[in-house]
Amino acid sequence: MRPARPALPEWVRRLPEYLMIWVPLLLSAAHLVSFSLWTIWISFTPSTLIPVTGWVGLRNYSAVAASRNWQIAFDNLLLFGSAFVVLSAATGLILAILLDQRIRGENVLRSIFLYPLAVSFVVTGTVWSWLLNPGLGIQKLVHDLGWTSFRFDWLIDRDMAIWTIVIAAIWQSSGFAMALFLAGLRSVDADIIKAAQIDGAGPVRIYRRIILPSLWPITITVVVIQLQFAISTFDLVRALTNGGPGIATQLPALVVYDLMFQRSLLGRGAAAAVLMLLILLAVLLPYAAWRYAQRRRAAYA
Amino acid sequence: MPITTTRRRLLAGSVATLAFPAFARAQGAVKPRLTAISQWSAGSDGAAITALGKKFEEKGGVWQHSPVPGFTTEMMNKLRAQIMAGDPPACSQLKGPEIAAWSKIAPTVDLDAVVAAAGYEKVVAPDLAKLHKPGGKWIALPLQIYSTNMLFLSKRAMDKAKADKIPVTWAEFNDLAEKMKAGGVAFPIANGGTRPDDGQKFEAALAGISPLAYRAAIMNLEKKALEGPEIKAAFAQVRKIADWMDPNVGAQHFSTNLKRFVDGDMGMMIMGGWAQGVLRNAGFKFEDFTIAPGPSDNGKPVFLLNADAFIFWQRKEADLQAGQTLMAQLVMDPAIQTMYSQITGSIPVRTDVDLSGEGWSDGQRTTAKALKDAIASNQAVLSMAHNMAQENGMTAAMIDVITEYVKNKTIKPEQAATRLAEAVEGAR
Repeated sequence: MRPARPALPEWVRRLPEYLMIWVPLLLSAAHLVSFSLWTIWISFTPSTLIPVTGWVGLRNYSAVAASRNWQIAFDNLLLFGSAFVVLSAATGLILAILLDQRIRGENVLRSIFLYPLAVSFVVTGTVWSWLLNPGLGIQKLVHDLGWTSFRFDWLIDRDMAIWTIVIAAIWQSSGFAMALFLAGLRSVDADIIKAAQIDGAGPVRIYRRIILPSLWPITITVVVIQLQFAISTFDLVRALTNGGPGIATQLPALVVYDLMFQRSLLGRGAAAAVLMLLILLAVLLPYAAWRYAQRRRAAYA
Repeated sequence: MPITTTRRRLLAGSVATLAFPAFARAQGAVKPRLTAISQWSAGSDGAAITALGKKFEEKGGVWQHSPVPGFTTEMMNKLRAQIMAGDPPACSQLKGPEIAAWSKIAPTVDLDAVVAAAGYEKVVAPDLAKLHKPGGKWIALPLQIYSTNMLFLSKRAMDKAKADKIPVTWAEFNDLAEKMKAGGVAFPIANGGTRPDDGQKFEAALAGISPLAYRAAIMNLEKKALEGPEIKAAFAQVRKIADWMDPNVGAQHFSTNLKRFVDGDMGMMIMGGWAQGVLRNAGFKFEDFTIAPGPSDNGKPVFLLNADAFIFWQRKEADLQAGQTLMAQLVMDPAIQTMYSQITGSIPVRTDVDLSGEGWSDGQRTTAKALKDAIASNQAVLSMAHNMAQENGMTAAMIDVITEYVKNKTIKPEQAATRLAEAVEGAR
């Protein structure tokens, strides 16, 4: 029999847990909050090359909002954000449903679909910039195969170029949506499905009436995660089109970088960054409210 | 008495060890030391600055170069961080009007005495000299010059067009492009898709049409000149150039298409002199291409200046100050400028360096002669696309308009001219 160890006070025993959780949490929260506040402060100053004190009111904001770059970036964000989120969720869901059919080699397929997530966005952007280049990539391949009237030149088409970013982003992250959906599909109670089968429901009906409705919480999660990714997209666009042709595929993050570091207009760059933060909050606050409402309902149910 | 190691002795000993080097430095016989940052880490640029460092060491100095590879902005971020921390490098790469802008945020070294001793001012192009002495005092030194509007002609494309005359004016340039197109050259203009690439097309067009208008509109930002007919004419010329370019380049670097240029699949390239170094590094021969000054409607060469420079930041340490003096002397030395330009393919800042000897290419000789002629006829102007004419914010605002115009063929030259004037107003 081992000798009993002297009993440590409860708080000492749990000290490692507290340290593990609270120290990093507080540190990162402090960083996040202090730098955000600092950026907000800079956005009201006349800073250019280096931060300076002073007060210019909303002048930086009005200058950014009035610039063509920002307007194009904002329109692009609306289009790219919605198209990317809807399409990547749809692609992920379809892949998940197909994988859920107890097929052979599921593990291999799952890895293949998830693999793009392991690739950095810069690599994705560069690879797709070659694939989509009409003179080198897919269009040339089809031409060489004999179909010479085939056209796929979105990369250099001002109106369609934003869709090339959507394509590359979907390729990259629909595997992530698939993984979440697959987990959701697997967690549906097998007894309910059995019961539905006994009642004579076909597979389509089971999916439509039982499985998909139970996926709502996961869908919301996927949408929110993808949206915040869409809003902060930077490296993908920089490698794929670098905002071009011309300035047709500008996105807010590119504008912030451009203002701060290429044009050396720290004040305006900070203003653009704060505007991005506001857009992000416009997505995250409703989500937080929804979560809160759900929890309350669960608590009172 | 036995020597015992007490804590106090240990402390005193270590303080003495720490203090000794500073003490030695203060006692005269300072060894010149230079802390420098630049973006030149690889290729011919890296080789050139390494060679410069060797020369510095040969003169008894300590060379501490920290390259920041990547875009110039990366280097600038490091510089900004060091300045804000109160620890600027003794010397850093910086060029154009950014020298004046940055000199306001930290004290710089007054180089007037060392420049006067070297007699440097007489041999530097006047517009260029002005950039390096904002406020009337030399605080930075130009190191090498490129022209951003050199015309590269592909030998094979010229054969296809059955032409051998180098175009001098834009009209002749346009004729040659038509001939190349008719002769089976797929794209008479070789190009990349980057922002400076588009900017270079415009500045070459405007400066070639009228160097006076270029100086007034782009360098001095005169409202009347910005709304003048030359700007519209320049945009019209850029449209022609854009129609002859390969639209499939996306955001690629110009060097991606050099093989097609040499093969005669593309005909002419308006590019900085650095393209010669890139062509040579890619293994192409001098016979494959010809270099000439960019088109100029009055027949005399127009030179769009782009110059790399070093700015010197004030430091209190005696060894760094000695290092700065030594570095300044080296940068102005004709032998060093020769060595540097021969590695990178640029031309020396000094207009009195003889380029007839070995180690220089015909392209460099042509460029140097163009610079001399352009200075004589007051047609050496500062490049906008490469941040020599205006600060970065203004340049970016202008290039926004130009790059959109190049890629969007529904914009009319008149519209583009109006937008350019508006963009300048907005960025002022």
